[in-house]
Amino acid sequence: MKKKLLAVGLSALMMMSMAACDTGNGKQSSGDEEQITLRMAWWGSQTRHDRTVQVIEMYEKEHPNVKIEYEFFSFDDYFTKLKTLVASDNVWDVFQLGGNFPEYMDKIEFLNSYIDSGIVDHSKISDAYLKITQDTEGNQIGLSNGLNTYGIAYDVDMFKAAGVPTPTENWTWDDFANAARKIKAATGHYGSSGFTSSEFIAGCSTYVAQQGAVGEYGFFNLELTGMGFKDPQMLTPYIQMRADLIKEGASPDAGAEMEITNIENDFLVTGEAGMTWVAVNQFPTIYDVCAQEGRTLALATVPRYKADGPAGTVIMSSQMLCVSKDSKHKEEAAKFISWFQNSVDCNNVLQGERGIPINSDVLAALQQNATEGQKLMYNYVDLVGSFPTPEKINVLSPAGQDQVVDQYRNFVQQVATGSITAKEAAQKTYDAAQAIFSK
Amino acid sequence: MDKSALSLKVDSQKFLHRNEFVGHVFAAPFVFGFICFSLIPILTSLYYSLTNYSMMTKGQPDFIGIKNYLNLFQDEIFVKSIGVTLKYVFISVPLKLAFALFVAYLLTRKSRLVTLYRSLYYIPSLVGGSVAVTLVWKQLFARKGLFNALMVNLGLDAINWFGDKNLALYPLVLMSVWQFGSSMIIFAAGLKEIPESYYEAARIDGGNGLQIFLRITLPCLSPIILYNLIMQTISAFMAFTQAYIITGGGPDNGTMMYALYVYLHAIKYGNMGYACAMSWFMLVIMSIITLIIFKTSKAWVFTEAD
Amino acid sequence: MKTTKSIKKIAYHFFVVAFGFLMVYPVLWMVSGSFKGNAEILRGGLNLIPKELKSSNYATGWKGFSGITFSTYFWNSLWITLLATLGTVVSSALVAYALSRIRFKGRKFWFTCMIATMLLPGQILMVPSFLIWHKLGLVGTYVPLILPYFCGQAFFIYQMMQFMAGIPRELDAAATIDGCSKYGIFFHVILPLLKPSIVTTVIIQFYWKWDDYMGPLLYLSDPKKATASLAIKMFADSASTTDYGAMFAMSTISLIPVFLIFLFFNRYLIQGIGTSGLKG
Repeated sequence: MKKKLLAVGLSALMMMSMAACDTGNGKQSSGDEEQITLRMAWWGSQTRHDRTVQVIEMYEKEHPNVKIEYEFFSFDDYFTKLKTLVASDNVWDVFQLGGNFPEYMDKIEFLNSYIDSGIVDHSKISDAYLKITQDTEGNQIGLSNGLNTYGIAYDVDMFKAAGVPTPTENWTWDDFANAARKIKAATGHYGSSGFTSSEFIAGCSTYVAQQGAVGEYGFFNLELTGMGFKDPQMLTPYIQMRADLIKEGASPDAGAEMEITNIENDFLVTGEAGMTWVAVNQFPTIYDVCAQEGRTLALATVPRYKADGPAGTVIMSSQMLCVSKDSKHKEEAAKFISWFQNSVDCNNVLQGERGIPINSDVLAALQQNATEGQKLMYNYVDLVGSFPTPEKINVLSPAGQDQVVDQYRNFVQQVATGSITAKEAAQKTYDAAQAIFSK
Repeated sequence: MDKSALSLKVDSQKFLHRNEFVGHVFAAPFVFGFICFSLIPILTSLYYSLTNYSMMTKGQPDFIGIKNYLNLFQDEIFVKSIGVTLKYVFISVPLKLAFALFVAYLLTRKSRLVTLYRSLYYIPSLVGGSVAVTLVWKQLFARKGLFNALMVNLGLDAINWFGDKNLALYPLVLMSVWQFGSSMIIFAAGLKEIPESYYEAARIDGGNGLQIFLRITLPCLSPIILYNLIMQTISAFMAFTQAYIITGGGPDNGTMMYALYVYLHAIKYGNMGYACAMSWFMLVIMSIITLIIFKTSKAWVFTEAD
Repeated sequence: MKTTKSIKKIAYHFFVVAFGFLMVYPVLWMVSGSFKGNAEILRGGLNLIPKELKSSNYATGWKGFSGITFSTYFWNSLWITLLATLGTVVSSALVAYALSRIRFKGRKFWFTCMIATMLLPGQILMVPSFLIWHKLGLVGTYVPLILPYFCGQAFFIYQMMQFMAGIPRELDAAATIDGCSKYGIFFHVILPLLKPSIVTTVIIQFYWKWDDYMGPLLYLSDPKKATASLAIKMFADSASTTDYGAMFAMSTISLIPVFLIFLFFNRYLIQGIGTSGLKG
């Protein structure tokens, strides 16, 4: 009670003293009862900000009763802001999320009822693409802004110079390591670079999924209540290979790795490495940068455990738009998302900057004027989509995965410098991952 | 006589001029701000440290007692981060202060150019933790960076600064020393306060430059030195941006400063409760260190007040 | 005699300039980076002269985001910073006077509280602080960015206290005899003598506030209200691409006001050493 009184008194005081400074928006009181204000936010680059705002203005023109207040940030800032809004139950009506959405599950309004009632149009979106933003119980968490998957980008000429055969779609980790070593020996450059945060999911975690039958193992179990495999030593060969490549100079050590700040100055892009890990929506950008310098990049699949074993990779969502539970206009928010993903006009402005569109009409429209790099990306996604996938996949990752990834990367470095063995690193990684479930 | 003057005045006026009242009038802005904006967050963080609060989950966090505090000592990375932080503090603070004082002293010479020079030396501190400068700092110490280019030219081996967990902290220390500007400005203001007559007297007594510096400058400046020492020690404990942008705490947690580890748990890993426990543990450590500095300062700080 | 003196002088200036160049080299690199293409910046070349001079970074940078140019961002930054700096100077001087000159009960207690406010990292105070402002309904306004600065900043309160410690107590006593109250002493004795300390406070606080982006990030929501420090961060997107050229260009422009403030106030720190005639 005292606190409340204090708060009221305080706020009155501040309002008075600050009235002169506050340029607050007095627009809301337009009097029209149907007038609705939606708040929306995203992260991204200058291009994305400009295009998205353009699209928002289009939508406001088409729907005069809707006003959209938007906010945009850089990636890290976006999540800092989002977390404070979560704490204050004040999340934007429409907001963008990537792979870390389980952490925000409490704040997400599922779209199932809106899809059933036809507010969200999915006539041009395949079930498979709806599924990439569903949890295992079929709850529609959001609509994907774009498809994505992992692959390995490589320098075609460097492969030739080193006499390494072009990777096939079922090349193995042994082939991968040999290619890296040969490139190192022939050119003096790194065979493989860019083991940034993608590497855990694309490498380590995929390595587990590639063992056994399709869908037999996963790094985490489907319910995200524990591990998806029992024997920590399943990781050992992979960790050993990573550490060996670092030791031999065929992969960047900790110091060199730190020089990579961004996919654009990855050693592959600067011409100091033969391969790197990419999320394929990053591929067209680096393809163009290298093309300007007369180098050709190509995309290879993530190597396999066994040539005739499962691929372990699946099509995922790069990011999506969600409706927040805090929203007072959930239906209008869902309507906007539906338009955002389905309108060809809208996406002609956005130009697939967020990833490969899930709506087939939109995709067809964009493909007509695709660049060379984008074409390679489209083909690659088709290829990965054709691999047999497990019946049930979980597109979620558990809260706390970031911590596991950081620890895992440290263990690999420790193996490379010889302070622990690969076996110990595998065990430690397993224990660290398991620990997030006992919290 | 103060008292007799006051006793003539009416009671209310007496009250207005009592130390208790005057003190609180002048301290009022801080007291107001502290109670409204600092006290609640501070106490809330103490409460969080006894829970498993994560920032992302809805509803009340579970009260788990001192479990977070017990876990601290089993956390290898936390224990390591204390070591790293102490090393950073003990190396960077004295270096920075000595450097700031040296430059400030050098630049008190009467010369028109001095203003220009001081500006030159202050610029690095203006750009602070900006991404651009942190990036160039990283590149200075990169494998093929300027530093290693010099080493190779001198016929020495290049050093892999960020690849070696025992070396990676030093570029960060250097960067902190490089941004010595605010300490320098404060020293400069302090130097300005020392009356010329003191120096003249010392010169008449036949003191040379070093003697004058030791006998006049240092003692007169001692309150300011104490101030800079305390503030720089605290801010070194809180150092975060450089490690965050340049090394991310690596390699092998060799630059995992305590404030960075707090950030990781609070924001990235979603263990706000644990991060609060860490902070409160460090608060105790820092209080002890600050207290030690205050206690020992009685022996070397020369002050007119008190 | 004269020649050795001038040689010494030349040596001094040479040393100071050479070392100064080394000091500002990273900053110069940033400025030159604002004329480079993204690729050239990312390759990490350490030369100061761009391969080709591109001024387009300034144009792309200045146009900002979605039609809000940097003139808006800089204007927002400027007046927020000026107000906050003013608040800091006024409030910190008052508080410092109480804590260093007036012997009242609670002095030690408040001093301890003041130091304590600096001992916890911002990351853990962020959420509870945000909740307070949220409950007050002031998130989205400039109030949370300015009001706390009118409540004194520990860093500067303590600094002013240390400077006051250098002002002889005899001056207070003399003023008291002349009939000055405790209030009068502050305005007529302490404040005029505190000038160097106030100047350092202005210089440092202006730069800190100008550079602060965590506050604007948390408490502002309308992009039109954003500050330059926050807008500059928007060029960086670790998830896709970062326009370093534009970012460097705007960072360079952003240095100008801070530097001007410094140049303007710096005079007060040198103007004849020891002219204040204290203690003399």
